[in-house]
Amino acid sequence: MSPSSSKKRNIFEPLDRSFVAELWGERFGIPPSVFSPYVFFKKANSVWAANEAIFPRLSYEAIGMRIMDLKDRPWKPTTSALQVFGQHATKNLIHLDSADARSFMEGRTLEVESEAQSGYVVVFYKGEVLGCGLYSRGLLASQIPKERRLASIEQKSEHGSKNESLR
Amino acid sequence: MHSGKNMEWLDRYRDMIPDFDAFRAVQSLALPSSCRINTLKIKRSALLDRFSESGIDYQSFTWYPLGLKLNLESPGKLVENLLGYIHIQEELSMVPPLVLDPQPGELVLDMCASPGSKTCQISQMMKNLGRVIANEPSLARIAPLRSNCERLGVMNVAITRYDGRRFPSHALQFDRVLVDAPCSSEGRERRGPGVLCKSSSKRSMDLHRLQIDLLKNALRLAKPGGVVVYSTCTYAPEENELVVEKVLDLARLESISIPGLVACPGLTQWSGRSLNHELRKTARYYPHLNDTGGFFVAKLVKKEEHL
Repeated sequence: MSPSSSKKRNIFEPLDRSFVAELWGERFGIPPSVFSPYVFFKKANSVWAANEAIFPRLSYEAIGMRIMDLKDRPWKPTTSALQVFGQHATKNLIHLDSADARSFMEGRTLEVESEAQSGYVVVFYKGEVLGCGLYSRGLLASQIPKERRLASIEQKSEHGSKNESLR
Repeated sequence: MHSGKNMEWLDRYRDMIPDFDAFRAVQSLALPSSCRINTLKIKRSALLDRFSESGIDYQSFTWYPLGLKLNLESPGKLVENLLGYIHIQEELSMVPPLVLDPQPGELVLDMCASPGSKTCQISQMMKNLGRVIANEPSLARIAPLRSNCERLGVMNVAITRYDGRRFPSHALQFDRVLVDAPCSSEGRERRGPGVLCKSSSKRSMDLHRLQIDLLKNALRLAKPGGVVVYSTCTYAPEENELVVEKVLDLARLESISIPGLVACPGLTQWSGRSLNHELRKTARYYPHLNDTGGFFVAKLVKKEEHL
């Protein structure tokens, strides 16, 4: 790839904090003040958050943390971002018990009764944010990135039945 | 398995390493697992409580309260690691950031950053404030670097992909630069036997030239009076003292002292040649003296009058 095309690809444009705070407030009820320590950038369809506004003029692969993807509707929060901001969520959150938390961390889809609206939710276990889930009609699909999942008991043991893996 | 032939390479260090037989013997012992507590996401006391509750066997490092030895087979699979409360990191890999001593609010460059263990430790030492540029020339190594930064909740790191030898210097003055240089990795033999079979004088001399160019550019990028830390995980003097010696006109060396960790002074002679006496201020860490891998660290302060 030529340096010029690489530069075009790597443009991070400043993004208004209010744009981010409104979307997160609407979906998760997070107060705008939670976002005030951060600055935001947009690169193609992704939004990034960092602690400092001024980075030297260089060609960047990443600035701070990728926090959301705007490509599809609804927009999707990253698990990393929910682990930073999700603690302040007041709606569209789901608390799991121990067995379900394990399955969620294994990347599975679970049957869960919740009052959450369909769409992306903050998933908690014992008051800690595990990450992002996709909730729809009683099913919660784990959105934990592959490299951050627990190895399932099923994968580890050749003879493990599905029942065992869900324990 | 350790082939005797590979281990024979280490014999060139017989006169330079204290208690050489113990040094040779320890090579075949697997390195204990270790992790760093990520204070960006959890307090030390809370993490230790979690470990105690789950019956996880750990032991604090004698020299660094955030480092823990773990008596576990695959610590990477701990939920604490997946959630970013800890980072699996080799014990001595936590030394260079401590020597760099970055402060909140500073502008810091990690020139050879992936997979980002040291980058994230620097970020945590800066309390997620200020700016860290994590540079990594290899595209394939950007993904693990990004993934580690995001898992650990890092918000003050930006990633670039320049050849470190040509990292642009326009209008940039870094407070601190870490050059954790590509090296022959002889100090990693206990992690995965086999690195020694690639060792040769030619390989070390090829790396020597690259390392000098990286270190010279790091000194160009640092502000006058700024700190540049050079580290490798190898024993070869060609990649350590003989690299640092080449930049002593641009910077002065500062002594390194980490209470609780046994270090040997840098070499002042090698292969029948006397080296700059200041090089004794660099630090060599050997696997048999701390039950670790092997490391070399030099702390340089850029001279005020240069450039």
